[in-house]
Amino acid sequence: MVFTWLHLAILVFFLVGIVFAGVPLLGSLLVAPRFTGGDIGMPYECGMRPYGDSWMRFGINYYIYALLFLAFDVDVLYLFPAAAWYVKAPGFMPFVKLFVFMFFLVMAVIYFWAKGVFTWPKKLS
Amino acid sequence: MNAIPIELIHIVIAIALVAGFVGLNGLVLVWVERKVAGHVQRRPGPYEVGPNGLLQPLADAAKLVGKQLFTPDGSDKLVFWLAPIVSFLPVMPMFLPMPFSPFLTAMEVNVGLVLILAFAGLNILALCLAGWGSNNKYGLLGAGRAVAQGVAYEIPLLLSVLAVCFMTGSLSLTEIVAAQGNWPWQWNWIYQPIAFILYFTCGVAETNRAPFDLPEAESELVAGFHTEYSGMGFGLFFLAEYAEMIVVCGVATALFLGGWKGPGAAGAWWFLLKLYVLLVIMIWFRWTYPRTRFDQLLNLCWKWLLPLSILNLLVTALVIKL
Repeated sequence: MVFTWLHLAILVFFLVGIVFAGVPLLGSLLVAPRFTGGDIGMPYECGMRPYGDSWMRFGINYYIYALLFLAFDVDVLYLFPAAAWYVKAPGFMPFVKLFVFMFFLVMAVIYFWAKGVFTWPKKLS
Repeated sequence: MNAIPIELIHIVIAIALVAGFVGLNGLVLVWVERKVAGHVQRRPGPYEVGPNGLLQPLADAAKLVGKQLFTPDGSDKLVFWLAPIVSFLPVMPMFLPMPFSPFLTAMEVNVGLVLILAFAGLNILALCLAGWGSNNKYGLLGAGRAVAQGVAYEIPLLLSVLAVCFMTGSLSLTEIVAAQGNWPWQWNWIYQPIAFILYFTCGVAETNRAPFDLPEAESELVAGFHTEYSGMGFGLFFLAEYAEMIVVCGVATALFLGGWKGPGAAGAWWFLLKLYVLLVIMIWFRWTYPRTRFDQLLNLCWKWLLPLSILNLLVTALVIKL
């Protein structure tokens, strides 16, 4: 891989982003009070003592959405190179190919829809 | 003596301008948001600090810096403090290909749009880290929502952006702007009205703004993923959110509203004017619409926006080939 000015620019912008975020935090460390003790470090739970740990197992209803996203986003990514060339491609064939590609994507949504992923409240099994 | 390469000077000037722009805009937008909120609710908004409350954001910033940085007991300290920085990290590179004007572009990138979209995804990771690291149940629930919402709305957003790319045949923001005319009826929003509306809706959802601010819905989740953040930790999330609003509106301006072009003299002022109109509309949304319910939010995306955007893309592709 060739290291171009673009890569350097991205790195510089990243670094400046860190500095931009870090300076107010450092300023806060210098200026702000540092009170400890009492219940000050207690995680907030509407003023009650937290009931149990928050890192526990609970049913996230969204994980199927995450799976669907994964299937979709990886596929949609392939459309970006296609988009760059689509206007210049001759003939009607590119549209047919695009249609077939999108057809299977839509089928995924219809499948999930029929399976009842989009109906709430969920039946927890 | 070695000569300093011109590209390096270019990058340094660009980053200085971008950093200044992001900082200044954070301050301006805080003021605009509070003023708009005030007038929507028939009160004057900030009034005391400076003329018309103009210095209020500075006072707010000073206050935030002066607040103690808490780390909740039992939290994952590294993850907890990494999150605000990670949230701010992608903001700067997203301004790299932003075409303010032909001369005021930080760097011409022929895949600028992909660059912005790629870095935009990093924000979701930051929210996830914040919610997980803070050992707080509200934080965790907010993070779960943020991820579900962020990833869901990314797809219609990509598809509506793609419709414009298919039309122009380019992924460079500069070229997409150059392909549009000087008059409002020559801009892409006339050719792609559905894509414009879809993009803007998804943009509002991606930046976690009301009516789609479920990850930080204060009526049910206290403050969602940033419940445990005090002072500047919260301030950084806030600043990153405002910077992302600018990016979303900037991309909308470039793709759909003709970027720097406009009747009369074309230039950066047209870009900024359109940018700020869109930003004020976004703020207006927040103080006008009630918050949606979470299942409504997800189903709106998967049942309406996604099929619509796919249909829009296919029709666009068909019309190009006819």
